[in-house]
Amino acid sequence: MIETILNVVVDGLLIGGIYALIAVGLSLQYGVAKVLNIAHGEFIMLGGFITWTSYKVFGINPLLSVAICGPLIFVLGFVLHLALFKRIRMTSETEGAFEGNSMLACFGLMFIIQNVAILIWGAGIKGYSYLGFPVSFGGGAVFPANRLTTLAVAVIICIVFYLFLSRSHMGKGIRAAAQDPDTAQLVGVDINRVLALCFGFGALMAGLAGTLVSMCYKVEPTMGLEYTIIAIIVVVLGGMGSILGSFLGGILLGLIGSLVSHIEPGLTLASFYLIFMILLLVKPTGIFGK
Amino acid sequence: MLKVENIQAFYGKIQVLRDVNLDINQGELVALVGANGAGKTTLLNTISGLMPKASGSVKFLEKSIDNLLPSQIVEMGFSHIPEGRKLFSGMSVRENLEMGAYPKRAWKKREETLREIYNLFPILEERSAQFASTLSGGQQQMLAMGRGLMSKPRLCAIDEPSNGLAPMAVLELFKIISSLRDQGVTVLLIEQNVKQTLEIADRAYVLENGRVVLEGSSGELLESDHIRKAYMGL
Repeated sequence: MIETILNVVVDGLLIGGIYALIAVGLSLQYGVAKVLNIAHGEFIMLGGFITWTSYKVFGINPLLSVAICGPLIFVLGFVLHLALFKRIRMTSETEGAFEGNSMLACFGLMFIIQNVAILIWGAGIKGYSYLGFPVSFGGGAVFPANRLTTLAVAVIICIVFYLFLSRSHMGKGIRAAAQDPDTAQLVGVDINRVLALCFGFGALMAGLAGTLVSMCYKVEPTMGLEYTIIAIIVVVLGGMGSILGSFLGGILLGLIGSLVSHIEPGLTLASFYLIFMILLLVKPTGIFGK
Repeated sequence: MLKVENIQAFYGKIQVLRDVNLDINQGELVALVGANGAGKTTLLNTISGLMPKASGSVKFLEKSIDNLLPSQIVEMGFSHIPEGRKLFSGMSVRENLEMGAYPKRAWKKREETLREIYNLFPILEERSAQFASTLSGGQQQMLAMGRGLMSKPRLCAIDEPSNGLAPMAVLELFKIISSLRDQGVTVLLIEQNVKQTLEIADRAYVLENGRVVLEGSSGELLESDHIRKAYMGL
């Protein structure tokens, strides 16, 4: 019994770390930059394929490709915001119109990125094995080392980002813009830069999550959507615009998923949707939201 | 120092500013008074770059600021202290003040400036670790002003600071505002509280339905029949 509980909890934490990372990313893009990025999962997929390529083709250790994948995808997100979403924002009459228009643009982006990925890597499933050996916990619970590593890396990335937000000049600007964009501008925050940074950081988190995902699971060009949906559910669960809420929400959803899949694996995604719908009806501000 | 020429602005199809002109010289405390809905806040928003204007031009320190972002205008030394305080409620008093020093030129000197602000508003030092939302109305306004001054502005535009405050708090606040002018900060004070405002201002503009209907020294305006009838109930 204790072994089962330990299994379910650790398993939940392991996947929850990745959920937390992708949800913090989406929270920056949707909560601050107001772009509901339907293509969020595609950045995860890109991260996965870049890691796969650098390992299989160039022999670079998947953990080190965090340093390749991160900057590359950050720049992609940053430029994408300046070239696309900033313009949509300027031509949209209201904030509501911008949310709608940018979401539609993300839909297009999703297919473009998927098709480009198919052109480069083909439509098939790719994978590699890395740190596959088991690590045993007391009581007979055994987990593969790569999954334990992903949790550690995900938590480290979230902590580093949290410190960046609370301590650095730029991080303070982002927090101010998240709370009140107009007033942030009045104290000297360049809003266009902050929004592009937030979109870039959101993409970066997704890309790094992709690196971590590829260390444990297979990658394929159409893998993104499931992660996008999970990220949206976690952001709503944690409360819109709350970075800490998204982090805790990710861990919580991981635990719930692990518990449900222990009982009936086929119901995991369905249980997420159920939670999502109940939440929208009962507490649309999220459990950690105000 | 600040020169506003022929500004027109619209909300949708409704015109809210008609040919507004405004001129502020260095070292002055100039008031912009008028009733609710006269267009005072809109005028300030078009100057500080938050809201687009249909036509007209604004010069600050002899340079056109028409195409600048609000952040660039702050960097030049124009500080807009918004109506309704607009504090960052999820941040402490101290963090709010630090946010005010966000422009690069002010960020380096923020510890030093913070000292000055704490001297001007000692209550903010006592409450420095508290969340901004736990302060009283008067203290919140002081925090909003302190935050606005943290950028070391040359011109400080203060929008409706007396709004919602008790008479004693207004008195204290207006004393501080006139002391700002004495310290060399040029002030544009936007107010509905016409009598008290004219008592501390050097000059004033009166805005009605988006148009400047009167301007002059505070002494002249305090004597004017129109002002006495429309704004002081005399």
